[in-house]
Amino acid sequence: MTCEEARKNLPLFLYGELSFDEEELVEGHMDECSACRTALAREKAMFRALDEAEAVPAPQQLEESRAELRRRLSVAGRMAQGAPLGGSGWWDKVREGFTIRFHFAPGIAQVAGAAAMLALGFFTARVAPNSFLGNWHSAGMLDPATSRVRYVEPLGSGRVQVVIDETHQRVLSGNVDDQGIQRLLLTAAKDPSDAGLRVESVDLLKNNSQSAEIRSALVYALEHDTNAGVRLKALDGLKQFAEDPDTRQALTQVLLTDENPGVRTQVIDLLVQRHTDAMVGVLQELLEKEDNGYIRMRCQKVLQDMNASVETY
Amino acid sequence: MQAAVRMDEPELIRAAQQGDQRAFEQLVRSYDQSVLRLATNLLRSPEEANDIYQEAFLRVYKNLHTFRFDCSFHTWLYRIVSNLCLDALRKRKVRREESSVVETSDGPLDRMDAVPERRADSDPERSYESRQLKQRIQEVLGGLSPRERAVFEMRHYQGMRLRTIGEVMGTSEEAAKNCLFRATQKMRAALGDFV
Repeated sequence: MTCEEARKNLPLFLYGELSFDEEELVEGHMDECSACRTALAREKAMFRALDEAEAVPAPQQLEESRAELRRRLSVAGRMAQGAPLGGSGWWDKVREGFTIRFHFAPGIAQVAGAAAMLALGFFTARVAPNSFLGNWHSAGMLDPATSRVRYVEPLGSGRVQVVIDETHQRVLSGNVDDQGIQRLLLTAAKDPSDAGLRVESVDLLKNNSQSAEIRSALVYALEHDTNAGVRLKALDGLKQFAEDPDTRQALTQVLLTDENPGVRTQVIDLLVQRHTDAMVGVLQELLEKEDNGYIRMRCQKVLQDMNASVETY
Repeated sequence: MQAAVRMDEPELIRAAQQGDQRAFEQLVRSYDQSVLRLATNLLRSPEEANDIYQEAFLRVYKNLHTFRFDCSFHTWLYRIVSNLCLDALRKRKVRREESSVVETSDGPLDRMDAVPERRADSDPERSYESRQLKQRIQEVLGGLSPRERAVFEMRHYQGMRLRTIGEVMGTSEEAAKNCLFRATQKMRAALGDFV
């Protein structure tokens, strides 16, 4: 075997995909040729680099995919009752109703945004060619606000298949105490694509903050929402829990990290209603970096009242 | 009828064909991790990988009654998955959307940031080199043809034999071998400076 032949066979040799005879020849050549042994070592290094570049889905992603599949199969099961498996009709409904594509929504927002849109009664469905023709005739044209061509595919003989994502709207109404409505509001409160929607949703939810789930959503919004208006609404809903240890811990964190002085001002007003030893260190830490005059003044006042130093050494 | 605790695969398939949901779920769980891994690796997008996952198992659910044990269930399932992945890759080529970077209100965002690397490095210098290498590998993978890419992924990351890959892809073992050969040649040419 020549060096050229040996090197050409290296990947298949490492994959164990050579025949017995070919493998023998490569191994024999390696025993005799140090240049090819070096080439083999480089090939192994490339394989290791490829191993490390593997994209492994997060365990949570697998769980989410499983949960979504279970939901779809449960609907399929219900719809198939009375219809033979593989029969037409029910299957198309399952597939159309669930073939949701949100790739045109921006970035990470896609996943949460998709859930929020679905929950609020918006859904994007893949339009099958038959129904597409119906829509085409009735609509007259594609409405760019609610539709988007997903992809086009030539079918040959001058025909083409155009797949359109369409957004439909559904209106629901109910009492704000209703659990179903609350669930929709909780989802909307996390919709990353619409800050206005989040403000409205958190505003509606904050009056029901006795519920642990809603309170936890408010804490999440206060700690993570990128919009200060949403954070202020969430804070409003948490005021009555300013004594609760978990809420106080979240408030303390927000006081030290929130970029918005309006939010920090409201938080400090809430926290200093009760003086605790744990606050001393927090306020001292805050004073080291706080440039807002009012917040500095409140910090200093509380520390003096507690006979604590206003500086750390 | 409910699935017994220990059923072998043919029994599970037959039970699922009779409408046993638990048997079907057990069947899904035997393979779904590797299906999601293959789709994630091929498409490098968690959202699209989930789409493939859903579509593949829904197709299995719908068509399981047509499965006649002519090949292994694994081959049958992977035929469905690889066809879906190839379609997605081809459409992506058409749309010229190979980049995983999307524009968001917070600036450009790489969707692959949501997909963890297999191993993170604590040494910053090594980590930088490793990121560069990884980026180069992604570029090369993006430049492979959909078939080369699929064969490479199934052989390298899924450890499937070329014979099985040929069956899955509806081609010969020899054709799969040629695909793998071309893919590794391109890799070697592109990664020459790195490894």
